[in-house]
Amino acid sequence: MALLELTNVHTYYGQIHALKGISLTVDQGEIVTLIGSNGAGKSTTLRTISGLLTPRQGQVTLAGRRIDRVPPHTIVNLGISQSPEGRRIFPRLTVLENLEMGAYIHSTHSPEFRADLDRVMTLFPRLRERVKQKGGTLSGGEQQMLAIGRALMARPKVLLLDEPSMGLAPVIVEQIFDIIKDINQQGTTILLVEQNALMALAIAHRGYVLQSGKIVLEDTAASLQSNEMVQKAYLGLD
Amino acid sequence: MVVQATTGSGHLVGQRSIKTILLEIFGPLLQVLMFVLGSATILSLIVILFAFVLRGSRTDIDLLQGTLIILPQVIIDGMVRGFLFATIALGYTMVYGVLEFINFAHGEIFMVGAFVGAGFGLSLAQQRMLADFPPLLFVVLAILLGMIVSGVLAMLTERIAYRPLRNAPRLVPLISAIGMSLFLQDLVRMIALATGMGFNVRFQTPPLGGSLPLGQIPIGGDRFASFSIDSRALIFIVAAIIMLIGLNYLINVTRLGKAIRAVAQDRATASLMGINVNRIIALTFLIGGALGGAAGVLFGIRVGTINPYVGFLPGLKAFTAAVLGGIGNITGAMVGGIVLGFLEAFVASYLSLFTRGQFAGANYADIAAFSILILILIFRPSGLLGEATTQKV
Repeated sequence: MALLELTNVHTYYGQIHALKGISLTVDQGEIVTLIGSNGAGKSTTLRTISGLLTPRQGQVTLAGRRIDRVPPHTIVNLGISQSPEGRRIFPRLTVLENLEMGAYIHSTHSPEFRADLDRVMTLFPRLRERVKQKGGTLSGGEQQMLAIGRALMARPKVLLLDEPSMGLAPVIVEQIFDIIKDINQQGTTILLVEQNALMALAIAHRGYVLQSGKIVLEDTAASLQSNEMVQKAYLGLD
Repeated sequence: MVVQATTGSGHLVGQRSIKTILLEIFGPLLQVLMFVLGSATILSLIVILFAFVLRGSRTDIDLLQGTLIILPQVIIDGMVRGFLFATIALGYTMVYGVLEFINFAHGEIFMVGAFVGAGFGLSLAQQRMLADFPPLLFVVLAILLGMIVSGVLAMLTERIAYRPLRNAPRLVPLISAIGMSLFLQDLVRMIALATGMGFNVRFQTPPLGGSLPLGQIPIGGDRFASFSIDSRALIFIVAAIIMLIGLNYLINVTRLGKAIRAVAQDRATASLMGINVNRIIALTFLIGGALGGAAGVLFGIRVGTINPYVGFLPGLKAFTAAVLGGIGNITGAMVGGIVLGFLEAFVASYLSLFTRGQFAGANYADIAAFSILILILIFRPSGLLGEATTQKV
């Protein structure tokens, strides 16, 4: 059984039909990527999974349990946490306070909290240096690290990452993607949404290609990399 | 070795020192104190300067002496007004922080607090227990009762009148708030009349003692002006400071306080952290309402008589104070309240003195307060301590 499964999900923004029957699965231990251009519905898919949006039709299950009518703050408790699009860190909370918010569902007095904090600081040593700084004063790369670190603090079974490469210098993107791979090897299942298909397919096991709210292609990352259509549309190869 | 090293560093970042916590609690308070001293000093200098300049225009009295004699009392009055506005303004600013809308019913939440306190005094009086009731205990109990009733009422207001409109256009909840304000005024009026309290209700208290002499200042020659603080004013200031300390602890140190700040900064992302946003918003109304209720009780004790419409003007002024400090900013609300309170006290006391009574100052104090609102909105919409993100009212 898949850890996370979407079956024929339809999500609307008011009258706008944003997801037109998305079905996908993410298995335990995988990195699965959703690639596609702007407005294809990638972020909408993640927002539907994390409960910020409620699908009008179809279902979302986590380890067999339906979660598509569950509010977002409960979904975190069930084991899904998200690093949202645009990072969305709390600008006037310090780095430490941001991480504490990530661990909101756990006690911050427990030894586990300190262990989680230490794990995040080890993955992102830069955050340790900035621990007392306000989130809003961090650079874009640091904010992305904080957003991922904050999501990890909830000890998720499935980590949703929305465009971690957006607006970052290539060298920083490489660093962050290396860390994403490490996180996965430490046992966290990852669903990665990316416009940067090249980077995403390099670390993912499997991938889905989204176009105007529909999945048009699904395959292993290796096959997608060599797929002609993917190469033309998303990898910039002729 | 490695394990030890990592847990060691985890400890370092995971736990706050007592010093940091104290700084988080008293830092904003020091800022408020600075504004108290600053406002008092600047305004005093201005009136003394005026007195010097206008000295020749009066032959009947020595204007400078007259100015100095009432100065200490004006400063105390300014502090009382300042803390009144500050405690009410906190309710506006906290709600604005999490919902980005002005809860115009907050003045009425304040008024209900005053009525609860007055009702408590009245029922003790009917039992013939009031005169012998320990004064300090009376004040504490009245404040607690006012806080509970007003806090719960504010929470109910949110549940009934605002939450169903959460996703409606911005003006809709605003109108709903104004409606709630009118509704509460008339509801309290109806209850007060039906229970025989009457329209104008006397706020009965056990004897709270007279004035505490504070000292004397020389006013030229061998004459001295003695000044004192009214016990009711003292109660007001002390209670307000205790509440501000409590609020700073709650907001800056506790997990719930951080959750309130997180919700204020980004509601959707806060829900992704596992924060139940609706519960936090309800909690914000509870805290803001409780502060308003406490302010209402203190106000009632200070002024002695209340009616169902006493919430309107202080509410509007506290809103001005919140805007003055930068709406959404908690320290800003306190600072804005203090500055506005001092300004009003000075205008109320000195305007008639300087104009030979042609402008009765007390009436013009309102003009001063609301001129500030207009000036701030035009020239510095983000307020004295405003955050860069301040937006849309």
